[in-house]
Amino acid sequence: MRAIKWIMAACLLLLSQLASATEKVVVLSSYPQEVITPFEAAFEAAYPQYRLEILWRHGRDAMTYLHQPHSAVDVYWTPAQRNFAVLAKEGAFRKLDIDLSGLPKKIGGFQISDPDGYYVASETAGYGMAYHPAELKRMQLPIPTDWKSLMSPAFNGHVVMPVPSKVGYAPMLVDTLLQGYGWQQGWDVLKQIAANAILADTPSTFISDDVGSGREAVGMTMDFFARSAIANENPLRFTYPEKVGYSPAHVAIFREAKNLDGARAFASFVLSDQGQKLLLHPDIRKLPVRPAVYASKPKGYFDPFASAQLASYDYDAASGLMRQELISALFDALITRHHLELKTMWSAIHQAEQKTRNDPRLQEARTHANWLPLTAAQTNDAALQQTFIQRDSRAVTLEQQWDTEISKHYAQATQLAQAILGAKP
Amino acid sequence: MKQQKSGISNSGTTDVGANLFAQKPSHVRMNSHLQKTQSWLLGLLLIALSLSQPAFANESDITTDKATREAYLQAIPAMPESDRPKFIHGRSLVRQVWVIAPSENREIAGLGPLYNRLSCIACHIGNGRGFAPATPQEPMRTMLVRLSVPGDDGHGGPKPHAAYGGQLNENGVPGVTGEGRAEVRFTEHAVKLKDGTQIKLRKPVITFVDLAYGEFPPEMMTSPRITPPLFGLGLLQAVPEADIVALVDAPKPEGIKGRVNRVWDEEQQKNVLGRFGWKANMPNLRQQIAGAYVGDMGITSPLFPKENCTAAQGACRQSPSAGSPELTKEQLDASEFYHFALAAPRQRNANNKQVQRGAALFRQAQCSACHVPQLKTGDFAPLPALSHQIIRPYTDLLLHDMGEALADHRPDYLATGREWRTPPLWGIGLARKVDPRAGFLHDGRARTVLEAVLWHDGEAANAAQSVKDMSASDRKALTKFLESL
Repeated sequence: MRAIKWIMAACLLLLSQLASATEKVVVLSSYPQEVITPFEAAFEAAYPQYRLEILWRHGRDAMTYLHQPHSAVDVYWTPAQRNFAVLAKEGAFRKLDIDLSGLPKKIGGFQISDPDGYYVASETAGYGMAYHPAELKRMQLPIPTDWKSLMSPAFNGHVVMPVPSKVGYAPMLVDTLLQGYGWQQGWDVLKQIAANAILADTPSTFISDDVGSGREAVGMTMDFFARSAIANENPLRFTYPEKVGYSPAHVAIFREAKNLDGARAFASFVLSDQGQKLLLHPDIRKLPVRPAVYASKPKGYFDPFASAQLASYDYDAASGLMRQELISALFDALITRHHLELKTMWSAIHQAEQKTRNDPRLQEARTHANWLPLTAAQTNDAALQQTFIQRDSRAVTLEQQWDTEISKHYAQATQLAQAILGAKP
Repeated sequence: MKQQKSGISNSGTTDVGANLFAQKPSHVRMNSHLQKTQSWLLGLLLIALSLSQPAFANESDITTDKATREAYLQAIPAMPESDRPKFIHGRSLVRQVWVIAPSENREIAGLGPLYNRLSCIACHIGNGRGFAPATPQEPMRTMLVRLSVPGDDGHGGPKPHAAYGGQLNENGVPGVTGEGRAEVRFTEHAVKLKDGTQIKLRKPVITFVDLAYGEFPPEMMTSPRITPPLFGLGLLQAVPEADIVALVDAPKPEGIKGRVNRVWDEEQQKNVLGRFGWKANMPNLRQQIAGAYVGDMGITSPLFPKENCTAAQGACRQSPSAGSPELTKEQLDASEFYHFALAAPRQRNANNKQVQRGAALFRQAQCSACHVPQLKTGDFAPLPALSHQIIRPYTDLLLHDMGEALADHRPDYLATGREWRTPPLWGIGLARKVDPRAGFLHDGRARTVLEAVLWHDGEAANAAQSVKDMSASDRKALTKFLESL
């Protein structure tokens, strides 16, 4: 009898120890805490046998860490599209052998998941315009409907524009305009908006802050910053341009994952109905990549799959990602470092246009204003891309050459416009 | 004009309905029962006046009327625009998820070797209060366990355990084993109120599993604590020490005492008044913040330059550091400033009849004897906008014996195992809006404010009994009042 009791007690002890034993699932991420917290809580509740261990690193720091021996990470789950592309190419991931049904690989013409199946989109975000309705009304400005709305001189001093070399989400924003409108027209639009804009070179949420507080009327930003602020009862609104650009985040399992079952469980959870619905939380407001989830979306929540049927364009994410540094360097040359000249130039051109539309010098001024140091084809040159990824001496030399040429063209455009203004009727 | 409107005293302090207990010099004592009664009644009358006062002319400078999920995130409206970059820098540090060293992002590196959470807001969700885990399997995400053994640390504070230190750090960086896990289970009992209503109260029972650095000795003292909210702390720091000390000797209802804690100030290298923390065991915000950085996240700072590894934790001691210190002085300054500038929410629905009835009941039940409605701030150089303000925190910042049921039996400087600092009540009505799981009392055992009231004992036994004796409608009015804060 005593032996039976002893065995029962031992079994109970063993069971309680088994019940309390948890396995770590190590996930590398750069998500903010607002995203990590609900996923961590919901995943651990759904899979009590696992405990999530988040290693937080973003961008290049994440790549450096992953390239170390024994980095011991199971899952990569983050918005860092290029890192995923590079790691997949290096063979760091295993093919995702989990149920991916109900998850499209594209939103319209936007490829969001790896065609080879090594990493899949876990959520996405769209680019657009946050605006303060009361401020717009006070200044008698229209609600913008497209990026081009912000080119109007009426918006001068009322727009915030992120600098891609400083603000994490901005390189893709800029590239979606360049691919959406085409190379030349894209830069024309960007430069004319910049002529109206205050440039933001601080981390991302500040544009929503600036617009939400009414300090600025419109900001170029990502939907979730603004949508989250709106969900938290801040007095701003958000609108998408005619052709929406997307920035997806991804999930992938490392080939060397120590806890493969745990990794599969986490990736499956992130992509599941339950995981995707977490994205609708007021503090997150990302766009789910599982279309079925939109059936339970809050009122007014943007559905990219429905929107893509209305206006779509093919976006080449692979080339967009590889030329990011080059585009950011060009942006700094064309806009950031010559911002005052750009503003003066476009102010003079707009004033000249008010005076006359027929003066041939006007077209000449516009030609100088729209001058670009590179063609679209040149930005796809792998060696040139590497120059700006590494920021070697050639990059510095090129930037100096661009600066000289850009200053010259902007000055000529300004002189021509001012000449029209100074000319007697 | 401002003086005429708000009754500003010669010292420049708005004194309408100010905390009257603080007005009396400590050497003035009444010795007859009559005098005591008169004094007490006068005190009640004046508190009643203070509770019924409309908003002060300048209250809007230091409080926020935002009552959304972002209510605790607002800067005081009077913060100069020139201070905005510093506030935003501090905010970004509080929101930052920290990185394990070595890292290319040196300015945000230094997590661990041992830690509880990755960021400040992982525990202080929306700058609000934490909660207790619902099940043993759920980790302590907004809660921690303080540890100590009998004796003191040489400054009168708790003596850390030789292997585990002063706090259980559940997590370790790769290569460093976390110290163990605290599992929370609850025992439940019902309290019957006079009108027959039964309220279920739950008490946490903590067990420790997976202890990596040896079993806890029998004499180990443990104290689970949820995270407190972050707003309004600059205003509390701006209350002059003399005013807090004066509250000790202020006349109070029978059975209510209150005393100050004296705690080690790392910067001044001496014991001073304690005013922050569940046991008033922190002297100022800077030390509270730096203590949380090193204690909760393993991030060293100019105030606490040593990593949180004990002699018994070899791998921890050999782990790389991101700098010495990891949090720079400039970052600590910005973090401190951010906390100074966070506004407390302004009372809502103050003119609602039920709220006003609740305020009167709060007073009648003697709650306001410790949850003092108003305090005054003095000079405050780090953020002059906080100077000479009337504030409504509903605390005396003093320690009170709260009885056996709430005791953690873990002394903390002068605070005994039964004593707790009166927690401020401002903004408490928005706690569940900011985080639906927000808990109340030091270990988050109370799921509602009423449950928290019913746990009151010791010096607050009469107050709790008054609430138990209330009619359902009076209890509802009291709750409405608390929800309006």
